[in-house]
Amino acid sequence: MSAADTAPAEDGPVTMMDYFMQLEYHELLCPVVRRYASQLLEGRLVGHKCPSCGLVYVPPRGYCPICVVETTDADEIVLADKGTVTNYTVVTPVQYYGQEETEPFVRASILLDGEGGMMNLQDIVDVPVDDVHVGMRVEAVWKPPGERNVDEISNRSWGSAEGCIDGWRPTGDPDVPAEQLRDKAF
Amino acid sequence: MSRPAAVVGIGQTKHKKKRDDVSLPGLVREAAQRALDDADLTWTDIDAVVLGKAPDPFEGVMMPELSLADALGATGKPIMRVHTAGSVGGSTALVATHLVQTGVHDKVLTVAYEKQAEGNAQWGLAGGRSGGMGAGGIFAPWMRSYMTRSGAPEHIGWMVAVKDRRNAAKNPYAHLQMPDLTIEDVKESPMLWEPIHWHESCPSSDGACALVLTTEDGAKKAPHPPAWVLGTAMRSELGTFPGRDPVRPQAGVECAHEVYDMAGITDPRKQCDVAELYVPFSWYEPMWLEGHDIAGPGDGWRMVESGETQIDGEFPVNPSGGVLSSNPIGASGMLRFAEAALQVRGRAGEHQVPDAKVGLAQAYGGAAQYFAMWVVGATLDAVDQKR
Amino acid sequence: MLDVAIVGYAQSPSWRNAELTEPQFLFPVISEAIERAGIERRDIGFTCAGSCDYLSGQTFAFVSNLEAVGAWPPISESHVEMDGAWALYEAWVRLQHGDIDLALAFGSGKSSPGRLDEVFSLQLDPYTLTPLGADPVSLAALQARAMLDKGTITERDMAEIAARSRQSAADNPHAQIRSSPDADALLQEPYLTAPLRRHDLPPVSDGACAVVLATADRARATCERPAWIRGIDHRVEPHQPGMRDLTESISTRQAAKHAGVDDAPVDVAELCATFTHQERLLREAMGLDDTVRVNPSGGPLAANPVMAVGLARIAEAARAISEGGAGRAVAHATSGQCLQQNLVCVLEGA
Repeated sequence: MSAADTAPAEDGPVTMMDYFMQLEYHELLCPVVRRYASQLLEGRLVGHKCPSCGLVYVPPRGYCPICVVETTDADEIVLADKGTVTNYTVVTPVQYYGQEETEPFVRASILLDGEGGMMNLQDIVDVPVDDVHVGMRVEAVWKPPGERNVDEISNRSWGSAEGCIDGWRPTGDPDVPAEQLRDKAF
Repeated sequence: MSRPAAVVGIGQTKHKKKRDDVSLPGLVREAAQRALDDADLTWTDIDAVVLGKAPDPFEGVMMPELSLADALGATGKPIMRVHTAGSVGGSTALVATHLVQTGVHDKVLTVAYEKQAEGNAQWGLAGGRSGGMGAGGIFAPWMRSYMTRSGAPEHIGWMVAVKDRRNAAKNPYAHLQMPDLTIEDVKESPMLWEPIHWHESCPSSDGACALVLTTEDGAKKAPHPPAWVLGTAMRSELGTFPGRDPVRPQAGVECAHEVYDMAGITDPRKQCDVAELYVPFSWYEPMWLEGHDIAGPGDGWRMVESGETQIDGEFPVNPSGGVLSSNPIGASGMLRFAEAALQVRGRAGEHQVPDAKVGLAQAYGGAAQYFAMWVVGATLDAVDQKR
Repeated sequence: MLDVAIVGYAQSPSWRNAELTEPQFLFPVISEAIERAGIERRDIGFTCAGSCDYLSGQTFAFVSNLEAVGAWPPISESHVEMDGAWALYEAWVRLQHGDIDLALAFGSGKSSPGRLDEVFSLQLDPYTLTPLGADPVSLAALQARAMLDKGTITERDMAEIAARSRQSAADNPHAQIRSSPDADALLQEPYLTAPLRRHDLPPVSDGACAVVLATADRARATCERPAWIRGIDHRVEPHQPGMRDLTESISTRQAAKHAGVDDAPVDVAELCATFTHQERLLREAMGLDDTVRVNPSGGPLAANPVMAVGLARIAEAARAISEGGAGRAVAHATSGQCLQQNLVCVLEGA
């Protein structure tokens, strides 16, 4: 972020100078995300299943925004760590300030098996980016228990399991037909 | 309690990558002064100001209506600041319109801007973290879903990109000036977010747009023909939940039908002479043609392919060059609203659609979850004349 | 103008450091306001929110607040990057069309995650003031100093305002500070930013407020004693503190005049006096004499959930009418430094 030079600009152009402002925010993790994080450290992916409509939210949000009802630990379910790529993109990283990615990378939506639940913005690993496709079957690549951390888990990172799951790799199972995933474009 | 409101002044800046010749106040004043001049009004004639822009962290200025109050001639007057993500420029114009329609004020100035070069919007979009996807990364999967669903061939996106850049070459305010861009150039340009190529993506621009809205009396005194606001609508929906259809968001469908109903439009494809739709990535032209029920399912891309959305086609879309040619984010929505109004006022210059009487404008934002639309007409009965 | 009334309101507690997320604590507040209004959520014709990205430290922070509203199927909705009081203003304007009869306004914010002195310095002119690092407390201190020098207030007056406000909050379940030593004791404390002491400042608060508005027929049908909005107006003044006489609140005076504050006597005033000395400024600007009960809720000195605190003043003024037997109440909200922008709302019981 920058503010312009204050030099008078009668004829010449206004020039600019960089002005960096660093703001630090420290927010307490809310109880449902705290619980989600502690379960991740144990190698479990959990979500809340809405008692009213049955939709599954991962990470849990503490409510179902569709039914406008609160959800609690009583609505917690353990989710499969296998699923299907329902959509994805290959991002060519823009080199903005703080960007560390330099090569094209994948961000995929994954529909978990069994009870369901959608994981957004996930990495697909162990496969060239050009081979990722809708319907691909994948499984979570967990970090070894001793190497897991929840440093990047925040109240706002809906869908993230960073620090515990390195990404999702193909299982080699046959694809799910894309037309079955139409309403899971997310 | 509703009375007619009309656009009598329109102003915009030259949009470019870096407007380092002006400060933030200078940028908004450039657009606002042009709108006032167009309306033959002065700053003191204005009753209230409505300001819109995208997230504050894009420039690093929090609640900028406070530091811009003086530059916008707002001291001693009411000023508001609207923020509804990418649709904000449209929503801002609607808030201003409502102030006139409801009789709260007689003359309202509304301004929207973005000065991306004074900040870092990509950094802002990524929340300051590495691995940011940019807006294109969010929308790219849905564009692919559209292609799969509709069977659209990939050259449709390239055609939209070429059409909008050629239109922009007729618009002196547009950022990108690429009159000679070819389909081949678009196809060969680098892939940014598969399936979106470089040339199928909007630029990042500095720029501002301003409108003056007033009453029937005010419109009579204006030196140039007004654009009458015949319909307004806003809709929002949740951005992510299992089962949502982000390719044809329900909020976009409902927003369109509300604005058509209010304006008396029964067949938008026939009754609108021109549309300015928020198309930051080429595929959004056919997606919104279908998403707002202008075209039937799978027909949006056929309208593009047949040339119907060209400036000389039956249903011209984005004769100004659209967001694909100028993207001062917070202003991009208001530019759509302004350009539709310019068209029905007959004041669009080289990119004028002949005999445009009814114009449709749309802006969207967030995860394709916020929508703002209006219909403007050359006369209050412009739509009736089309039946 | 069509008659519009407040028919439902709710507030969260005010927390120093809420462990819930903003949508999580908004969620029950919105539900409670709707329930108290005795209406169905789907009957709301327009919704408007007020919040601030910089407070949360996240671009598009307001988008997740939509989850607390019930935005499916889609709703007609808007958002102001302002205090919820301006969201209420936009909702009031929307109701003036007469095509819908119910609207919801809410405001929410978490002040706890960031450093407010740094965050709010970004609210100033980016070329001339932000680089100076001018923060809200320092600017308020300059304002208080100007009033002290002019003789329009004393440090004792300020301590008495602090003590009275916090003691008034004793019965307010939403307040954060609900008791206070007397003025003598407060004056023994050291300066924080002279001439301001800790008690001259508001607490740091997280919280939310929601209000339901209705047009006349609907209001009478759903509410025993609606709080009718008889006037609402807001004005801004120059940004540069050096361009203003900080010992007066001209924009409050203008807004109060247009809202019709002096058309009749006022029983209760809920003022967004974030710093003690500003209560004096606001009373003078609105012409409120000693018979007016000011901030019976405790006001911002007892709970200051930024982005909700102005709307909470309107909710408290409505409560004074609907539940407290007041006949006429004035609510005030502010934005910017040293009261740069002010909103005044006049409410009546009949």
